[in-house]
Amino acid sequence: IEMECRVLSVQSHVVRGYVGNKSATFPLQVLGFEVDSINSVQFSNHTGYAHWKGQVLTADELNVLYEGIKLNNVNHYDYVLTGYTRDTSFLETVVDIVQELKRLNPKLVYVCDPVMGDQGSMYVPENILPVYRDKVVAVADILTPNQFEAELLTGRKISTEKDALEVMDLLHQMGPDMVVLTSTDLISPHGDQFLVALGSQKMVRADGTTSTQKIRMEMPKVDAVFVGTGDLFAAMLLAWTHHHPKDLKAACEKTVSVLHHVIKRTITYANKMAGPGKRPSPAQLELRMVQSKKDIEYPAIVVEAIVL
Amino acid sequence: MLQHPFFPGLWCRDVPMTPDSNAHNVVLSIQSHVVRGYVGNKSASFPLQVLGFEVDSINSVQFSNHTGYSHWKGQVLTADELHVLYEGIKLNNVHHYDYVLTGYTRDTSFLEMVVDIVQELKRANPNLVYVCDPVLGDHGSMYVPENLHPVYKNKVVPVADIITPNQFEAELLTGKNISTEKDAVEVMDLLHKMGPDTVVITSSDLPSRLGDRFLVSLGSQRTLMPDGTKSTQRVRMEIPKVDAVFVGTGDLFAAMLLAWTHHYPNDLKTACEKTFSVMHHVIKRTISYAHELAGPGRKPSPPQLELRMVQSKADIEDPAIVMEATVLTL
Repeated sequence: IEMECRVLSVQSHVVRGYVGNKSATFPLQVLGFEVDSINSVQFSNHTGYAHWKGQVLTADELNVLYEGIKLNNVNHYDYVLTGYTRDTSFLETVVDIVQELKRLNPKLVYVCDPVMGDQGSMYVPENILPVYRDKVVAVADILTPNQFEAELLTGRKISTEKDALEVMDLLHQMGPDMVVLTSTDLISPHGDQFLVALGSQKMVRADGTTSTQKIRMEMPKVDAVFVGTGDLFAAMLLAWTHHHPKDLKAACEKTVSVLHHVIKRTITYANKMAGPGKRPSPAQLELRMVQSKKDIEYPAIVVEAIVL
Repeated sequence: MLQHPFFPGLWCRDVPMTPDSNAHNVVLSIQSHVVRGYVGNKSASFPLQVLGFEVDSINSVQFSNHTGYSHWKGQVLTADELHVLYEGIKLNNVHHYDYVLTGYTRDTSFLEMVVDIVQELKRANPNLVYVCDPVLGDHGSMYVPENLHPVYKNKVVPVADIITPNQFEAELLTGKNISTEKDAVEVMDLLHKMGPDTVVITSSDLPSRLGDRFLVSLGSQRTLMPDGTKSTQRVRMEIPKVDAVFVGTGDLFAAMLLAWTHHYPNDLKTACEKTFSVMHHVIKRTISYAHELAGPGRKPSPPQLELRMVQSKADIEDPAIVMEATVLTL
């Protein structure tokens, strides 16, 4: 049976490597999704390399592309997916587009990675925060902030699991019925080689009351800096929540497992390329996406999420 | 290796990893990008990636959709901007490719920049294979600016290793008309002399021995024998005609010819059989779906005729062979 599911993904394009649309598109296509992609920039490679060069798309140019789709009456999507954005007017145009697409398809699911920073510091312009907080999150259905981004959006610090659950509830109130805190500094009972991720899904029962399912996962830390893993995560969360719409536990286990397989293959290859005792370079650490096709299609589950 | 004790709440087991390989299959593809649909890089990337190729892609344009729809909108990349992107790759010393793939281009300075890049990449890797679809027109008329013709003829084709012209393009490039199979073989020999060791005339008006529901494609591959002489294998295929206009099929063809000549570098017959078979499966799936969408008795629209690329993954990975190429003995 052919799945008929169309995603509009508005993200970066890099000639070489796997971030943004390069990171999201192939895995989604391999899982049978139609992916329409608007490239918000075209760069030679991600900005973690020694050099990068390229061009950015303006908010007007984004509008022009959307207009083309609209004029042909093919502006019908089941999902929208966005990630790293640096420009407030671009982000505001994205919100306008999402709102229009939702008018056309009220069931549309907007998966939003509210990329702003990590480990206590912002790596986008500060004026992006109010746009996410006041406009974007309100129209998002699935949100994948890290701890820092969740704190920024809600104005609340997270020191304990209880704080994290409260922050996720606040985020639900702001818009999305599904929130995944992709990484936190919370202490894992299994030691400092593990990090804690949490998820919360708000559902409406048959009697009209709401309930939330909250889960927790412990993930092994990896001793390397990867770029594009957050983009892959959001794309795969889209895919697995599509197949498990009321089962955040299953969706997260699959998503995190895919990440595990891709990262493991990548680090093995990177270390081999770098040679013994040498730290792999950004070029060597590019995700082994194409080589991980089978793991993307049929991820062996390697982590268990606990329902809280 | 990740090894974790079994704790309630954490269950992490190691699973065997499929081996990674150094397969010399990194492609630089310089083609159009469309937001929706399958032409240019959208048509080439997914199938190549599914077959395990690393595809670096430079998008020569970004349009909402291909220009066969009622409307299209978007932006084009200039030759300078192309150069800037290439510079970024080069500054990081990652300008090492096994293949370059190009298709539809409208701008002469852009095409000339592509040639410069190919030449530099060939200096960095003398084994690089440049797969070039010299898109100029079809059925007797050009659909790109005329001034592209001399650039293809004098600059691009000489650095190409595999070219996939249709009959009209092959005639334009060589200045020789094709009325018979013999003409076509001579034209392919002329094209070999100009540069590429592999030529596939993707479609022609030659009469098929299977009747007028079929078109004829021809291929020619020149190889260097161990004793230093050159030997040429020529093949002919009869391809069922389809009653619809597809866009992006030429781009898919060139990408799949790249893939299958990679696996069968000295066997044009097999490479063509696989390539044409993939095309058959994708087109058949597409036309069925298009008719289903359009409804009985109605002509499908361009959006409905977009290639069913993602749905054809299994056929792309492992195409069932549905046609046989005849080796010509001349």
